[in-house]
Amino acid sequence: MKETSPHNNLSFFRPRGKTMRGEVRVIKLILLGWLAAIVGFQLFAYFLEASYSIILLENLTFFNLPLQFWLTGQFLPLWFIILCVLFNIWMDRHAKQSTEGSLRFRIKPVSGEDE
Amino acid sequence: MTDGIVQLVPLTIVASMFALFIFSGLRKRTRQSSEYGFNGSYTGRVGIGAGIASNWMSAGSFLGLAGVFYVKGYFGMAYVVGWTGGYVLLLVLMATQIRRFGKFTAPDFVGFRYESDTARTLAALISIIITIIYCVAQFRGIALLVSWLFGIAYLPAVIVGASLAVSFVVVSGMLGVVRNQKLQYFVLIITFILPLMLLTRKLGYFWILPQFGYGAAIGELQQQFGFNCSEPFANTSLFEWFALCFTLMFGTAGLPHVLSRFYVVPGMRDARWGVVWGLFFIALIYWSAPAYGVLTRLFEARNGMRLYAGGADAADMVVLTAASLGGLPTWAIGLLAAGGMSAAFSTAAGLLMTGSASFSYDIYPRLINPKATERDKSYAAKGFFLLLAAVVMVLTLQPWGMIAEIAALAFAVAGNTIFPAFLLGIWWPRANAAGAICGMLTGLVISFAPFIAGDSLPLVSQLFPLTSSAFIGAPLVMIVMIVTSLLTTPPSAAIRLFVSRDVHDCHEE
Repeated sequence: MKETSPHNNLSFFRPRGKTMRGEVRVIKLILLGWLAAIVGFQLFAYFLEASYSIILLENLTFFNLPLQFWLTGQFLPLWFIILCVLFNIWMDRHAKQSTEGSLRFRIKPVSGEDE
Repeated sequence: MTDGIVQLVPLTIVASMFALFIFSGLRKRTRQSSEYGFNGSYTGRVGIGAGIASNWMSAGSFLGLAGVFYVKGYFGMAYVVGWTGGYVLLLVLMATQIRRFGKFTAPDFVGFRYESDTARTLAALISIIITIIYCVAQFRGIALLVSWLFGIAYLPAVIVGASLAVSFVVVSGMLGVVRNQKLQYFVLIITFILPLMLLTRKLGYFWILPQFGYGAAIGELQQQFGFNCSEPFANTSLFEWFALCFTLMFGTAGLPHVLSRFYVVPGMRDARWGVVWGLFFIALIYWSAPAYGVLTRLFEARNGMRLYAGGADAADMVVLTAASLGGLPTWAIGLLAAGGMSAAFSTAAGLLMTGSASFSYDIYPRLINPKATERDKSYAAKGFFLLLAAVVMVLTLQPWGMIAEIAALAFAVAGNTIFPAFLLGIWWPRANAAGAICGMLTGLVISFAPFIAGDSLPLVSQLFPLTSSAFIGAPLVMIVMIVTSLLTTPPSAAIRLFVSRDVHDCHEE
């Protein structure tokens, strides 16, 4: 068995190669935004309820809906969609670059398109 | 809900909707069926999204979610967030990479990646377990609707509903009906939103966007009847909420029939954008579902009825209850019944077919009859289909919770077993067969621990609640997988090279 270089100890936390490094960086950012929003909104609602009594929650409404209903029920799914769109835009650009990169030795890239 | 009356108008609507589906499926005849029953033709990214959404929409989304809001108020948000947030995990961590493996089903993937027939068989068994549990939720939805439509009791309704579901699969199989998923999603969204708009309009709320309009009902409940819909954590702890939410997300990223959707799409880029559209279409339903639960509470409070008097059966039917208490015309209630039926039927049909295909393809020729011919396999698939339907029917007679809770158990199993096996399989080339097998077995034990040891060890059911065990379970399974993999011999160099070079596009620097 050949214990050749980078393939053996690659993992999500140890990405290898330019493509994978970039991809993992974006995935980490997206997951951070995902986690922060889910946990953040719940903690926000929890502490609001715990410390400022119910009255504040009743009066804090956005467009008829109590604030935490709106944040969790309406905004979070929307936020997930936004995150997915951002990820796709990045991946699309990235995929274009990498095909260009691999074709470079055969075809000259279209001038004006950046690296 | 059973008053012994046959609901003629709703019954006609339900029947004509199924006729429409069969007719449109016959007319198209773009046969693209695969062995696993994921068929359908696609036109563009919106079409892919509609396919993803209609494949996803089950009785859990259509009936169950509103029921949870009705019983537990804000706690239901854990379902909304869990069932949408899971798609983010799926898209960024798995969708692209799974396609590069080029394996069509969960057992195929596990067998190929971990180079082990045992792991493959285990994954097939787990897929069948998930199928059965998820199907119980659908059959329960079908049975409740049948019970209302024909005015019969729950138990006979389970049998009638199960026979209807089986004959639906057989008839559409014989006629060669292709599921028209775009049409189906369109019907689902209309049947769900239109009655809600009528309801909020009748109440004098902001009816153009009932997703916001129902906020007024929360206010009225709070001020006049003292029911605190909006106190988020009055009855549940923060841990319970997060446990359920993350379990559903891990499960979404691990459900076999959701994962398989990424293969039937021609291009990766289209598949990725299809997920965005799919998520949007799913969110359209989830933005609205809480309204049904809240409105039913309001009507009951206004009429001076005792809250939650009908038990779990009534809670799962709140979508219809809201419409009838709100005084909507019968055809609007019929629309809701038809939507619920179609969601439950198509999900049940797809799952039963996947389950039996998985048996005839992964288990039967490998374990039972190694010399099986194609003909044998096809008989095995048909026989197992009937057996599966019978098992699901028996379990549905005495279910262990509301529709959404039954479905959540399936998500917990998927999150505890398939999700870690896929995640580590994709992102860590060192994971090996021993790790995967130990991990999946641990996951199964964790998922069913509350059933087995919940009474004697209260801590078990606190840490691993039946519906929410994957929050702690999935990380635990991953640790088991990592430790076992490190203690045993690494997988072959070929597969490690495949994962790093072909899946992650990582070349020598």
